[in-house]
Amino acid sequence: MTRSSPVAVALGVLGVVFIIVAALYALGVLQIATSSTSGPHYKHAILFAVLAVASFVAANFARPKTAA
Amino acid sequence: MGLLQGASELFPVSSLGHAVLVPSLLHWSFRQSDPSFVPFLVLLHLGTATALLVLYRTQWVAIIRGFFLAAIAGRIRNDSERLAMLLLVGTIPAAVLGVFLESRIKSLFASPYVAAIFLIVNGLLMLGFEIMRRRAERGASRAEQESHFGDAERISFLAAAIVGACQALAFVPGISRSGITIGGGLVAGLRHQEAARFSFLLATPVILGAGLVEVPELFKSGIPLAEYFAAAVLSGIAAYASARFLLRYFRSGRLDPYGFYCVAAGLVGLALLHFNP
Repeated sequence: MTRSSPVAVALGVLGVVFIIVAALYALGVLQIATSSTSGPHYKHAILFAVLAVASFVAANFARPKTAA
Repeated sequence: MGLLQGASELFPVSSLGHAVLVPSLLHWSFRQSDPSFVPFLVLLHLGTATALLVLYRTQWVAIIRGFFLAAIAGRIRNDSERLAMLLLVGTIPAAVLGVFLESRIKSLFASPYVAAIFLIVNGLLMLGFEIMRRRAERGASRAEQESHFGDAERISFLAAAIVGACQALAFVPGISRSGITIGGGLVAGLRHQEAARFSFLLATPVILGAGLVEVPELFKSGIPLAEYFAAAVLSGIAAYASARFLLRYFRSGRLDPYGFYCVAAGLVGLALLHFNP
């Protein structure tokens, strides 16, 4: 069994954080750096969802690979 | 406007700069503050993005497949997978800057005078890119000169991120998204035609995303959807023809003519605005 690298773990955690931020923007809870101060912000939510996907992809790249 | 936007979106001459400058010079009653402006722009962008998707349909299938295969495997094994990851790396900075800064930058610089000035800056940048490129070229013929440079798949990830982030400069009216990304590709060591291909591939998710997130705006009442849809079709046709022309042109052509055009258009625009406000 190979141990996950710290970088892969950090990127995975970052991905989870991005998902939470995306959900908060979509629900209208988070209003940071938005044009209006109320309601959901789908543009921001989609951006953070994409960042979450990118983080998980990067985490998979950083994960130690076993020889094929 | 549909034809103008579709044609100028991919030509390195700044569609936004022309969209701000031309209606002002021709005294068209087209106000960006009008509630129907955003839906209009959304459809034009969707027309352009559709044209790019159609043009590169085979490559996009390979890129999307490559993305999932590389993401699951956690490693890159072929050119399609590398290109998919390069586009992801190049798109993220543009998306982040776009979501957080686009409206602020556009509102700061949305004036015909500013558009004309930055059109001149855009022209000078493109001429600068070509001067840098000529210093790196060897060989007598254009084919020989281009043969020393690489394909889009060979660009480094850092260069892809920088070129992608430069797309955010296109929020300033007058600065061309394709001009900046083609120029960035040239500096990163791509052939002209490959720099244009990378630029168009990089632009597709950004233009498509910017259009799709605003789709709900289309369903507001009072929007003449049929007219706007016709404009979007024209925009798509113009974008498709522009992309085909540019890819052919950049087999041996350079950015110089567009650089000179932008400088001239900016100067003429400034003069007309000054003498005929």
